[in-house]
Amino acid sequence: MAENTDRSVCPATVQLLGKAQQEGVSTAFFRADQVKPCPIGADGSCCRNCAMGPCRVLLPRGKSDLEVEVTGVCGATTDTISARNFLRMIAAGAAAHSDHGRAVAETLIAAAKGEAPGYSVKDEYKLMKLALDFGIEVGDRPIEDIAVDVGRAALAQFSQQEGELAFIKKAPLKRQEIWHKLGVVPRGIDREVVEALHRTHMGVDQDAESLLMHGMRVALADGWGGSMIGTELQDVLFGTPQPILGQVNPGVLKPDHVNVIVHGHEPLLSEMMVMAAEDPEMLALARAKGAQGINVAGICCTANEILMRHGIPIAGNFLQQELAIVTGVVDAMVVDVQCIMQSLPKVAQCYHTRIITTSNRAHIPGATHIEFHEHDALNAARAIVRAAIEAFPHRTGRVEVPAHQVDFVAGFSHETIDYLLGGMFRASYRPLNDNIINGRIRGVAGVVGCNNPRVEHDAVHVAMVKELIKNDVLVLQTGCSAIACAKAGLLTPEAAGQHAGGGLAEVCETVGLPPVIHMGSCVDNSRILMAATAMVKEGGLGDDISDLPAAGAAPEWMSEKAISIGQYFVASGVFTVFGVTWPTTGSEKFTRMLFEGLEEKVKARWAYEPDPIKAARCMIEHIDARRKALGIDKARERVLYDMAMRRELEAL
Amino acid sequence: MCEKVEVKEEKTRFDGVKVEVLGPTYEPGKPAGQEEGSWRRKLHDREEMLKYLKTGERYWYSGDWYGSERRKNPA
Ligand code: SF4
Ligand code: SF4
Repeated sequence: MAENTDRSVCPATVQLLGKAQQEGVSTAFFRADQVKPCPIGADGSCCRNCAMGPCRVLLPRGKSDLEVEVTGVCGATTDTISARNFLRMIAAGAAAHSDHGRAVAETLIAAAKGEAPGYSVKDEYKLMKLALDFGIEVGDRPIEDIAVDVGRAALAQFSQQEGELAFIKKAPLKRQEIWHKLGVVPRGIDREVVEALHRTHMGVDQDAESLLMHGMRVALADGWGGSMIGTELQDVLFGTPQPILGQVNPGVLKPDHVNVIVHGHEPLLSEMMVMAAEDPEMLALARAKGAQGINVAGICCTANEILMRHGIPIAGNFLQQELAIVTGVVDAMVVDVQCIMQSLPKVAQCYHTRIITTSNRAHIPGATHIEFHEHDALNAARAIVRAAIEAFPHRTGRVEVPAHQVDFVAGFSHETIDYLLGGMFRASYRPLNDNIINGRIRGVAGVVGCNNPRVEHDAVHVAMVKELIKNDVLVLQTGCSAIACAKAGLLTPEAAGQHAGGGLAEVCETVGLPPVIHMGSCVDNSRILMAATAMVKEGGLGDDISDLPAAGAAPEWMSEKAISIGQYFVASGVFTVFGVTWPTTGSEKFTRMLFEGLEEKVKARWAYEPDPIKAARCMIEHIDARRKALGIDKARERVLYDMAMRRELEAL
Repeated sequence: MCEKVEVKEEKTRFDGVKVEVLGPTYEPGKPAGQEEGSWRRKLHDREEMLKYLKTGERYWYSGDWYGSERRKNPA
């Protein structure tokens, strides 16, 4: 049994784990000791796609599928089964992101029609941008009309049956050519996900390469489709993020306040929660119950979303969801979809906390369901805040809020980076490209993804990111990974001086950026795609994303969404490393396809390395190889010649 | 007339060489509030927004600017 100090590098987590243990509360950390991963499933060798199985295609000890062939009852080989399972993970991840995007599109239409009180178009600039993307007339038309058209056009992307997704056109031209050549350009978002389930049904697609090619198409439908729609339309509804100061860790909970935690992924409800918590009527009610006020905090990606737009503090990342309740001061935890543990109502039973589910897609036994609809969102939010206020006087047990709380800066959208680097006169990625070319910045890395109790909480993210910035690699982050590094103090401009290499630190100091840039939630990985594209288009670093000195990683991943994200990074030309475990090791043939074969097709590949330092080294090696290919592997300072030097030159 | 700046600091340059640079001479200030950093406020109307899209995001929204990808036939 591991010591709590070995379970997390986050001191607040260690402290609360001790409290949970004393109070007999089960958490994912302890359950991970009891439930060992199934070794057959872990390496992707189990197929349960029909009732002739489940078939566990185990290779004889020490043999690989390159030497012997074992099959399921239907004759499916290990590589087919691995590829099927992999494609199903991509499809599930893409479906999750895309369903989120669809909900945002529906809300935008309802808001523009005046059918969703409380919501409106907050960012007209972003709306104009989308109107241009979708070819919608702008002119002098009322903003609401344009918003309805944009919402409908976005919605149509899900059900589109032929043609190409609109945002594909935003990718570098060379990348589009590669996708066209391979025939992996997504037609419609839902169509690709459905086809993935069809292809992986018993007796359909039984060629690993063909399954993988479709996996690429599904993943692209996520990154350049569903996720991008989610990000862009949320910006229209709630405003495009701009740098904002935030606080993170359970220390943001206030013992003398009513504490409401919003957890999950969709900011549609949490935006309303922020409004409801500021409602004078609610504040009066809270005071009448003896509280000083109402404190809203977030967990997981909902946290990232509302932090970036309102500065609402973050109580923790994925593995801290149960521990937040263990503090004894959370009066209500409101959840919508994705990454919500079914254990929450059980943990809450030990305290006074109300667990409230709000989405018609996600119910949990033992939770209270207050369904949220965009046409009545504020009332649902008020009902939730009221429930939290009612719970406040019933606090039971020991209250313990760890004192740890860290400041950081978040909210770097692609547009804001563009502006910060070039100003209003000529927004530009030029300074970034120039500093990569001159060697001050070695390259760029996207480090994203979840927590996983199979590894030390946050430790892998933090170690990898520290190693990268120490070696002058600028790090872009989203999701729980960004929260992990925020807690470690890496997301402040000062962190550049403390942790970054000389070149990166110098650039960060000049432009006032942290060396680790928080770009949002998991769907916001689409912002990283846009940033990479902007770097390509700016020039000087090749003409495709795969030419950039850039790499991606999800060192503590656990969600199927992470596999989808990883696959669209690779399909977009980014070398991507995952940690913790790798879901296809049961088939050497298919794993080789992912780790080697893809390079030939999309000029990028997957890699697996659980050691964060070694993984960071792999990324740096890749970055260096790209620098070499671009001819920028030697740092070159611009030398201003004086007359003497010129004369010397002429004399030669 | 310029006052002589006395504050000097030693820093390590990106290539590891130690250099002496002028130290900070500013009055430490305080951020003037969240809104001050909000660059979108500088775009007042739709026309300005569209104009900015064509410069700030020129590679996607301007007809005559393709950056590194300038070519006759789009992909
Ligand atoms: S599809 Fe084939 S490998 Fe899968 S469970 Fe059925 S028989 Fe077994
Ligand atoms: S990073 Fe992973 S765990 Fe965290 S919110 Fe996103 S999908 Fe969930």
